[in-house]
Amino acid sequence: MHLEPESMIANCIVETQHDIPDFHLRNLQFMVYSHFSVHFGKQLAPEWIVHDHLGLVGVPHFRIENGGNTGGSALYAAFLAVKSGMFDVIGVAGWETMDNVSQSQGSEFIALASDTRYEALAGGIYPIYYAAMAHKFMKENGLTEEDFALAAVKNRNNAVDNEKSQWYRGEYQQYKRDLTIDDVMKSRLMSYPLKRYDCCLMSRGGAFCLITSEEWAKKHADGRYVVIDGAGLSSCTIRAGDRLNFPGWTEMYGEGYPDMTEFAACRKSGEDAYDMAGIEYDKALKSIDVAEIHDAFSSSEVQIYKALHWCNKDNIREFVREKRTFMGGDLPVNPGGGLMGYGHPVGATGIMSAVECYYQLTDLTPKKHRSSKTYVKNANTGLVNSHAGTGTSISNFIFRRP
Amino acid sequence: MSKKTQKTPEKKPAPRPEPAPKKAVDPRMHPIPLKVEYDDKHTNDFRGDVKEVGFHFAGYEWSSKEQQLLIDLHYDQLYYWKLAELSKMGRGFLDGELWGTQCPRCGDKFFPPRVNCWRLDEELQRTDWVRLEPQGHVHTFTIAGWSGKSSLKRLPFVLAYVVVDGCKTAIANELRGVKPWDPEFKMPVKVVWAPKEERRGVITDFHFEPADGWKPGPMNPEKERIKELCAPVYEWVKTLK
Repeated sequence: MHLEPESMIANCIVETQHDIPDFHLRNLQFMVYSHFSVHFGKQLAPEWIVHDHLGLVGVPHFRIENGGNTGGSALYAAFLAVKSGMFDVIGVAGWETMDNVSQSQGSEFIALASDTRYEALAGGIYPIYYAAMAHKFMKENGLTEEDFALAAVKNRNNAVDNEKSQWYRGEYQQYKRDLTIDDVMKSRLMSYPLKRYDCCLMSRGGAFCLITSEEWAKKHADGRYVVIDGAGLSSCTIRAGDRLNFPGWTEMYGEGYPDMTEFAACRKSGEDAYDMAGIEYDKALKSIDVAEIHDAFSSSEVQIYKALHWCNKDNIREFVREKRTFMGGDLPVNPGGGLMGYGHPVGATGIMSAVECYYQLTDLTPKKHRSSKTYVKNANTGLVNSHAGTGTSISNFIFRRP
Repeated sequence: MSKKTQKTPEKKPAPRPEPAPKKAVDPRMHPIPLKVEYDDKHTNDFRGDVKEVGFHFAGYEWSSKEQQLLIDLHYDQLYYWKLAELSKMGRGFLDGELWGTQCPRCGDKFFPPRVNCWRLDEELQRTDWVRLEPQGHVHTFTIAGWSGKSSLKRLPFVLAYVVVDGCKTAIANELRGVKPWDPEFKMPVKVVWAPKEERRGVITDFHFEPADGWKPGPMNPEKERIKELCAPVYEWVKTLK
């Protein structure tokens, strides 16, 4: 992709205006920018450039940075700002320019968001940390490499129906369009049990969405808005090795939790969002019609199924193997392609997930995607998940059709 | 009459201020040295005298078809990484000693060190330094086939999370002295130090190796699978300059 950040965001705003013709730049009362790494952009405070070049001088703005959950956290900040009663119309704009450096340098940049005094110096990068967690999770839950690969196949193949996705565009068009488990199993070792196709893409990309009061939405975006019925944000240790016995978790969820296998911050933020939306945990699977979740790795998608109470240790294998999260399953996950499909331009990612979920709940998907293959008809409730670090900051949102 | 000789009306001298009562220092506060002089310098030991050049233009590329410009820009930065109150740990690495911390109240022991207790009810109780036995067991591990720029040439390697000497936490470091497909969960390991002249005061001054007497189990389908995944990684590393 070849656009500077201010042009990416400008394009996204123009597309939002196509969807909501009543929305004008002059409506924006506050801007929340979502951008992770100033390293990639060789630019501190890059949001100042974007804001200025959108013509928004005078409009208050700040930037949220919260690792891979930067997008989700920016949404959360905008949600709080509307809830506070201070603002009615807030723009949330995110981007990342990770192709400014080589892949291996980029991997090391991202590893700077681990505790650089320890893991990163020892050669650790994020796929390695996730692999160490996934390896233990796989063993303890009776899963196999092939079980993880299912999520990779599903999301990449969904992405082929989404022309905005990185997997569909540019250099990736030369790759096979209908991946199989075997393709994943044969792809290059990243860190056991993860192979290349189990990992998301390193990306350049941008995203934008509007967070408004319901009154504004009713008046100016009738039929084109969703309601945020639940929002949760939670935190965990930066180093996965520090959560074997962390008192903050053991007093909440019992001894031995989350260990290095479970995403406690996903469970907690999910429970908070469910509580706010009136969803009972054991009925979550039935209550949600579609979800966009943070599949930075195929294994983490599976770990998230469990953290969100969609399955448990006893039935996780069947849950995965019965393809419950495929199109046509009872809870399609990442019909937009997920991070493995549309890419993971960190600051944009959580916002893209929210936008994909919004498309489903407003029936825009058939228009936005290449076909209706990835459209979840009659979806009323959606879940959006954004995830950072080794599970260090995680947000979950429940969207509902009004 | 000069001002000097001008008589001032007699005035009771102001009482000398009481010496400020010595403030009790909250023992949970971390002491801050007023001044630090680093008198034992090893700044050129590893890469020579690194020269910072800041912005350095390395070239450009032009697409005549799409009218797009790409500039090759190099930017470097030398960091002065102060270990400050964690210096005990870094000094330990240089000396081949493993130092962690322990809360004097709850007894929880940490490596890597936490400078305050992690229990909220301990209200930031400062921990004490404790020397750790250089041994532990593998909590989980992975076999890396890809890494950051600095580590590509040593692929594939095993990164293991090890619980050292009864700590409540696990530390990640390389596990050597074993084929990548042979490590096992819970296997006992020992700390092995780099030669003294190669130590830098950082975590990579040591690595883990299987404890004396540990033998890997026989080959099995999973080990064969990992071996097969590693084969192209070995070949790829040979092609690196």
